[in-house]
Amino acid sequence: MSEVLIVIFMVFVFALLAMVLKLPIGVSLAFSAVAGAIAGGEGIALRHLVEGSFGYFDTILIIVSAMIFMRVLLVTGTLDTITAILLKTFYKRKFSLLLTVMVLIMFPGMITGSSTTAVLTTGALVAPVLMKMGLPKVKTAAFIAMGGILGMIAPPVNILVMIMGGGVDMPYVGLTLPLLIIVIPLAIIISLWIGYRDIKIIDYTQMQLILPKSYTKKYGFALFLPLFTVFILMLGESLSIPLMPKLGIPAIFLLGSLVGLFCGRPFNFFKVTQEAAKEAMPILSILVGVGMFIQIMTLTGGRGWLVMSFLSLPPVFLYLGIAMSMPLFGAVSAFGSASILGVPFILALINKNAIITSSALSAIAGLGDLMPPTALAGIFAAQVVKEKNYFKVLRYCLIPALFELSMGIIILLLAPILDKFI
Amino acid sequence: MSFITIKKETIKGSILFLSIILISFFSGKQFLQMHKKDIIIQGPGISSKVKLSVYFPLLKGTPGDTDVYVFKGKEEGGNLLILGGTHPNEPAGFLTAIILIENIHVDKGKVFIIPQANHSGFTHNDPHEGNPQRFPIQTPEGIRWFRYGSRLTNPVHQWPDPVLYVNPSGQKLSGAESRNLNRCYPGKAKGNLTERIAFGITNLIKKEQIDLAIDLHEAAPEYPVINAIVFHENSAELAALVYMELQMEGFEFRLEASPKNLRGLSHREWGDTTKVKAILLESANASHGRLKGKPSVALIIDGKDKNYVKASRIGRLFVPFDEKGIPLKVRVGRHVAAIKAFLSNLQEVELGKGIDITNFPSAREIIEHGTGIYLEPPK
Repeated sequence: MSEVLIVIFMVFVFALLAMVLKLPIGVSLAFSAVAGAIAGGEGIALRHLVEGSFGYFDTILIIVSAMIFMRVLLVTGTLDTITAILLKTFYKRKFSLLLTVMVLIMFPGMITGSSTTAVLTTGALVAPVLMKMGLPKVKTAAFIAMGGILGMIAPPVNILVMIMGGGVDMPYVGLTLPLLIIVIPLAIIISLWIGYRDIKIIDYTQMQLILPKSYTKKYGFALFLPLFTVFILMLGESLSIPLMPKLGIPAIFLLGSLVGLFCGRPFNFFKVTQEAAKEAMPILSILVGVGMFIQIMTLTGGRGWLVMSFLSLPPVFLYLGIAMSMPLFGAVSAFGSASILGVPFILALINKNAIITSSALSAIAGLGDLMPPTALAGIFAAQVVKEKNYFKVLRYCLIPALFELSMGIIILLLAPILDKFI
Repeated sequence: MSFITIKKETIKGSILFLSIILISFFSGKQFLQMHKKDIIIQGPGISSKVKLSVYFPLLKGTPGDTDVYVFKGKEEGGNLLILGGTHPNEPAGFLTAIILIENIHVDKGKVFIIPQANHSGFTHNDPHEGNPQRFPIQTPEGIRWFRYGSRLTNPVHQWPDPVLYVNPSGQKLSGAESRNLNRCYPGKAKGNLTERIAFGITNLIKKEQIDLAIDLHEAAPEYPVINAIVFHENSAELAALVYMELQMEGFEFRLEASPKNLRGLSHREWGDTTKVKAILLESANASHGRLKGKPSVALIIDGKDKNYVKASRIGRLFVPFDEKGIPLKVRVGRHVAAIKAFLSNLQEVELGKGIDITNFPSAREIIEHGTGIYLEPPK
């Protein structure tokens, strides 16, 4: 069977299992990978299935540990306290509320290069504020998801650019300005687009009515120690401060969670970890399934066929190919998209400034975190606001995503002009 | 009712648990195959085999420790280091090193060969690349198998990756690059495993007063630095002489100066931190490109790939690529030809530093008859 037919067959089996037989997405992906391996003459290809499933091992650990951390912030009372503080500060300032909240969401993404981390940390902190101020929950989730993605592409740490740069021997230097040129206008436009119409300015009495309980009087500054621990350690990681331990993001979240044991309302740590793991399980199984699916697609030649199909587009359609393929490939992972497609696209645009090109491509690749079935930013943002159907969230991300896509393509087109100023 | 529910859950859980045990057992057996070492047969010209930890004792007993094959000539001359297997998914590099180990005799000078520079990288494959674990080479008296590993150190040996990797030369890179040996030079004595391997190699260069060091690599055909001699500025004259000699012999190479702002790579840091003439050689390997079709043993050995033929036609490659592909024997042959040219020109630029080697494999014969003719039969 040719590689094209195998890809079609794998997608067909997946659709059959997920949509007709209503099996979980992760399980459907795993079985469609097995079917693809058999159709490709590789047998069950057990080694490849397991190898592929480990492709997202680090991401899985980050997700589980971040979910535990988020739950700890909830049960200790930190989340309510921060909501109360933000509400008291911004209840009559719509514009500054939206922009401050956007920057807060972006911050963890800026220092870790991960939208998931942003959505599950400060995203979870600000979500109640936005909802209490009148933003519907699906729009709140869209706001957080887009904030996470913008944080991922904002300087100082943009892993997508680093991955692409690694493939073309481009050092990670001189990227702050081009990335800010892309991110700052998008952050302003997107926060106003999603939030300005729905956020209500309220008076003091109304604010008092929706104000959650603050625990600062009872626990004092200690309440913020888990957050403080996580941010300091993350900064240490991203700035490579000498003598600061390099623990990795999962260990940082776990340490922050353990600090939470001594800093607020008492809770059962094991119960919290169990609940968090249970909540994370569906997305973890999707990541394992996607890992298997992509490994078998590569093994049977499907990945190469896909990449070549987009690269073979005539020059006039190259930008269209970039705009379509990079976010679509993000269904596998935004980082995978940067590596597999970003590098050949930079080389296809080699007559342009690689710093500007890679910055623009990272903005486009970042949108992959909105692409089902993984859609990490969308799924976790939905989980933060307790929305079961994450497609409702993705619907509100569509226009902001188009803003970001257009910005990326415009920067690519204007690269020769920008080159003179940067 | 609740009893029945618990029982159902227990049964489901037990089946799942049993399945995981079985999957782990059978796949684990396959993964452990990658820890079985390649057989490298010591040729008659070898003077001694030492470990890299001799040059940096902290490596001793770690998965980063690796074999260094030493060839001492009777006459004093120059000192040469050849490095293969910096990236274990670039087979022409380590196969060239193995062919030299199994054949050469050194009459003048000293030669050090490390065939598996990142030993840990040979013990695993990259997820989502679907590569085979091993590939065969036909020798006149049977087949020998070699591992096809990963570009990076095994995460079992070095984990977790940092968010952002700042290498010993201060270059910022994505976290996974902390496991890429050719981004970790000159290394760090108290660094991670990969940085310690790099530190050991740099120490070897210093302690043995190496005059010329050649790092053997392969690159994807879509990568601009391909079929290339990458040289540090201290070896520009030598590289130019070699380039001309290779051209006269019919081998097309590019000359690429080592970029000064791209830190952590062998050709940059060896040249900056030691007195060695630092060189890196690249050949074109379709099996580790992003456009590759179905990964297979045939792709590694024959180097034929219809995707790359198409990519070449539409001008997306930096190397000619047609239906004949770029076979492993051609890639190894090019490395061998380049090394020989460096040896013949070293004396020209460094008086008294000549290295005389007999029984040096012929690049033309390798290209014509395959790499197997210069490999010892399997034992």
